[in-house]
Amino acid sequence: MDFDIPEELQLLARTVRDFVETRLVPLEKTIEDEDKIPVEVLKEMAGLGFFGLPFPEEYGGAGAGDLGYCLALEQFGRTSAAFSNVIGAHTSIGAMSIYLGGTEEQKRRYLPDLCAGERIAAFSLTEPSSGSDAASIQTSATLRNGCWYLNGTKIWVTNGPIADVVVVYAANDRARGPRGGISAFIVEKGFKGFRVGKVDDKMGLRGSYTGELVFEDCEVPEANVLGGQVGAGFRTALGALDVGRISLAAGAVGSSQHLLELAIAHSKRRQQFGKPIAANQAIQWMLADSAVEIHAARLMVYDAAWKIDQGKRPSLEAAMVKVYASEMANRVVDRVLQIHGGMGYMKESPVERAYRDARILRIYEGTSEVQRMIIAEELLKE
Amino acid sequence: MALERKDADASTTVSVVTVGPARSRDALRQALAMGCDDASLVLAEEPLSDLAVARALAKVALETKPDLVLCGKQASDDDQGFVGPALAEVLGWPHVSMLTRLVPAEGGVELWREVEGGHEVWKASFPVLGTAHKSEKEPRYPSLPGIMKAKKKEIPERPVGSLGADLGGPRLEIVALETPPARGGGKILKDGDMKAVAEQLATLLRDEAKVL
Repeated sequence: MDFDIPEELQLLARTVRDFVETRLVPLEKTIEDEDKIPVEVLKEMAGLGFFGLPFPEEYGGAGAGDLGYCLALEQFGRTSAAFSNVIGAHTSIGAMSIYLGGTEEQKRRYLPDLCAGERIAAFSLTEPSSGSDAASIQTSATLRNGCWYLNGTKIWVTNGPIADVVVVYAANDRARGPRGGISAFIVEKGFKGFRVGKVDDKMGLRGSYTGELVFEDCEVPEANVLGGQVGAGFRTALGALDVGRISLAAGAVGSSQHLLELAIAHSKRRQQFGKPIAANQAIQWMLADSAVEIHAARLMVYDAAWKIDQGKRPSLEAAMVKVYASEMANRVVDRVLQIHGGMGYMKESPVERAYRDARILRIYEGTSEVQRMIIAEELLKE
Repeated sequence: MALERKDADASTTVSVVTVGPARSRDALRQALAMGCDDASLVLAEEPLSDLAVARALAKVALETKPDLVLCGKQASDDDQGFVGPALAEVLGWPHVSMLTRLVPAEGGVELWREVEGGHEVWKASFPVLGTAHKSEKEPRYPSLPGIMKAKKKEIPERPVGSLGADLGGPRLEIVALETPPARGGGKILKDGDMKAVAEQLATLLRDEAKVL
């Protein structure tokens, strides 16, 4: 057992931390006001290799593995959630679907551009009437004359409005249910019958693009059936979601750590009744509880990421860390806002933004309730 | 500065070397991640005199025969600003200190340094040494793939004693180190006429400040 982070991954995390503090933190207000990340910043991030972290070098990735990827996302968690979201949706579930489920030819065709950040990926599963119950997918895929036709609407697709490559999950045979009846398709911007619909206005995650994707007899060549296997989509989606859940938790850990640091500094500075508020046990306990929970979540993230890098499929750990870290982050941000008092409620405070950003953690990529379902199913299976 | 030359001319090789303890590897690893081609460590666990460091580096420079050697302008601890110029002297090379910019020139390089109100531009043929002040550009971030690739590069290491350099020479010894005394508040002399104030001032300067 070795809990040391390898030297090069420590350097990687330090580099991301430095980049976040010098380049991204100063942009936080602009991103909140304009609800977008400046294009030149995305380009700079692409140039530094931020869009291909976990993938092997042979596909143009950084070869940092899932642990390296999570360490980077932990640092990205320290600023506007837009950054970890654009990277996370692109990497963990968009490009990851192709990496996990694609044929060798598909990986060579798509991953290098995606890793270089020259093209942005998205993952598209949710529909107006289909969320965690993937079997209820309405988007249909029909094969006619050697070409697949997709029909349906996907919603709340992170990166959807800016994506060049979208992995779309559609029902090829509803009677067969999720296993065998759902396929994944690689759809490129510009495919006939594919367009971006409404762009969403969200409570938080300002600067992260989320929206509707519309498929109207969208033509997808047979070569773009992910993995070349009709009906294998569900398994790929679950694999990508495992990685996604761990990486979301990594962002939650970074954000919570940052908030705790803000709360410590504030509580030592803020004087009331002739002493800093940190001298009050009520405040101390909030700080201590937060530190304990952040530590636990961080270890869970590293453990699950390490297991991915060992070639394991830690679906149970992924569900556990997702529910724990996202609920932990909501508790921490609530305490940190409380410690900041009125100041934390003001728009100029990073705590106010973090409070809105944190809420989605308990919802996307499987709600807390769905994670508990997955965990319980594993516990109770014969 | 070195990497900018490599950007402009891909045939450039950038090698980094340092004389120092084993923990200096971190800095070398960072340089590799930023894009330097190779790195090596001359291991010296005990502090050496600045002149000994310069002599050791001279041995390395004579082996690798670079066109251009860039050093930092000074160490951040003792601020001597000595090793770069001393290395150039040991090698018998020209040197220019406190560079802000390098511009390739026929048969050599233009070395720019900031002076009051403008730039001073020197031209030197190779080989030449410069000490770098603050470049006009911020140091680049290592790319993340660069960091992972840097892991695979060996950083060869050899003890400083193996170079055959004279490691003796004068060593500065710090005899005392103290923080400046806390400054007391000033005094305003306003009692009496101008002559009386001048007398008080003279008295204070002689008896208290002891500057007269």
